[in-house]
Amino acid sequence: MRAIYKRELQSFFCTPHAYVFTGVFLLLGSVFFAVGNLAAHSSDLNGFLWNAGYLWMLLTPILTMHVYAGERRAHTDRLLFSSPVSLWGVSLGKYLAAITVLGLTVFLSLIYAGLIAIYSRLYPGEALCGYLGFALQGSAFIAIDLYVSARSRTPVTAAIWAFGVNLLLWLADVLSSAVSSDLLQRALAFISPYQRCVPFRFGQLSAANTLYFIAVSALMLFLTVRTLDARRWREA
Amino acid sequence: MITLAGITKRYGSTVALSDVSFTARQGEVLGLLGQNGAGKTTALNIITGCLAPSAGRVTVGGHDLIREPRQARRLIGYLPEVPPLYDEMTVRAYLRFACELKLVVPADIPAHVEEIAAHTGLKQMLGRRIGNLSKGYRQRVGLAQALCGDPEVLILDEPTSGLDPRQTAEFRETLREQATGRTVLFSSHILSEVQALCDRVIILHHGKIILDSDLKQLQSGGALRLRADIQGDAKVLLPALRSLAGVRRVTQLPDEGDTLSVLLECTQDGCPQRTLFTLLSGLNAPLLRLQPVESSLEEVFLKITSEG
Repeated sequence: MRAIYKRELQSFFCTPHAYVFTGVFLLLGSVFFAVGNLAAHSSDLNGFLWNAGYLWMLLTPILTMHVYAGERRAHTDRLLFSSPVSLWGVSLGKYLAAITVLGLTVFLSLIYAGLIAIYSRLYPGEALCGYLGFALQGSAFIAIDLYVSARSRTPVTAAIWAFGVNLLLWLADVLSSAVSSDLLQRALAFISPYQRCVPFRFGQLSAANTLYFIAVSALMLFLTVRTLDARRWREA
Repeated sequence: MITLAGITKRYGSTVALSDVSFTARQGEVLGLLGQNGAGKTTALNIITGCLAPSAGRVTVGGHDLIREPRQARRLIGYLPEVPPLYDEMTVRAYLRFACELKLVVPADIPAHVEEIAAHTGLKQMLGRRIGNLSKGYRQRVGLAQALCGDPEVLILDEPTSGLDPRQTAEFRETLREQATGRTVLFSSHILSEVQALCDRVIILHHGKIILDSDLKQLQSGGALRLRADIQGDAKVLLPALRSLAGVRRVTQLPDEGDTLSVLLECTQDGCPQRTLFTLLSGLNAPLLRLQPVESSLEEVFLKITSEG
């Protein structure tokens, strides 16, 4: 697993993927921060974290599109499947490499919290909690999009499908406040990764929501392993 | 070393491999021949664990590939038809990665990479990006990757496909050196390559084994074939040769002046040298040359696959 992790991380930084992911995130994040905090003279990080949460929907497909679909197209998956590494080892290695890039991006975005701490007043506990929810949300998106990549034949289709799935999750969030049925509203709010982030933004370290994000990641990793295994039975 | 027992692979209603069984012994170089779509790549992918069989069992070094995949795959070095290369990596980084995958002790990896690079002619290329290498060097990197971890079994799928004649010759030479002491299983439709490298040949046709034979035995075809150059009149000699006991067929070869050249195909247990001498001395026709002729693998392959 360590070898896979190292190679995947190296690959992210030897190709434009990690730079585009982090660069675009920081660029758009800066716009949100400039508009929501600097121009509005606000020290509240909530708005920034809420808006930045939507960036995952747009950017995680860029990071994950090549991870499995690229290997499949370049036939490098043959090397992994014929080596004495388990499919869990492969999947975890790749997931953790993507999480490392995500973690680095989240870490770099702490600059906004730092600016608020220097020029205004920051509540560290609340900010850290907000960032934790934000990172957990991103890690769930990564796991979902990696699963989509494992199911796709080419990186472009992986990116399109991943974006589509992310969009559906956003729709679940939008619809959860629009539908009249209480049951449907609760069901949509349950699956929405955006609603799950709300308590974190208000400084509540919610065990249920933390568990939700971890469970989504674990489920997607499991499905990824099953998909890779199933391919050994189906493919020519 | 490698045992396939009753391997069948189906894709929906299409049967890619049907009840394929064979054993590759330790140190043996085994060629897997067949037309396109015969099932060669499927068989190799199953042996390396990249594909799961619909039925049957594969063991490598006594380890079942499904039950003990880790132990079985540790013994295997695999070069697929398209070498599994990461273009963004340097050759050194890639080979280090392959060594880590094959669970080589970390402290031994740098020396192991240098050794493999020296054996495969990649020493000057270690710092180059794989994406910038020529086809020949890419193939060498693929072979080097398969050699990482010093595997006992080397599996190569059409290893020289797409190489120019010079690259093919160099690659074959490297392969011949690296095959020593290992069990090598490789697929090819280049018959001269199989002839040059293999001890044994398996021919697959429509997913079934239609021939499994020692190469020498295969080329001799079981029955003796003799080329005879005789001085004399063809009109007299040919009927006489055709009536000779132990000769199944006589084929006239292109003439050289007053010399008649013929190919005598003997019956399975026929050995007509003595009767031939007697016959020719009686006809006062001097025998200038008599030599056994081996069938080319191409002849055998075409014959078998057209029958199959």
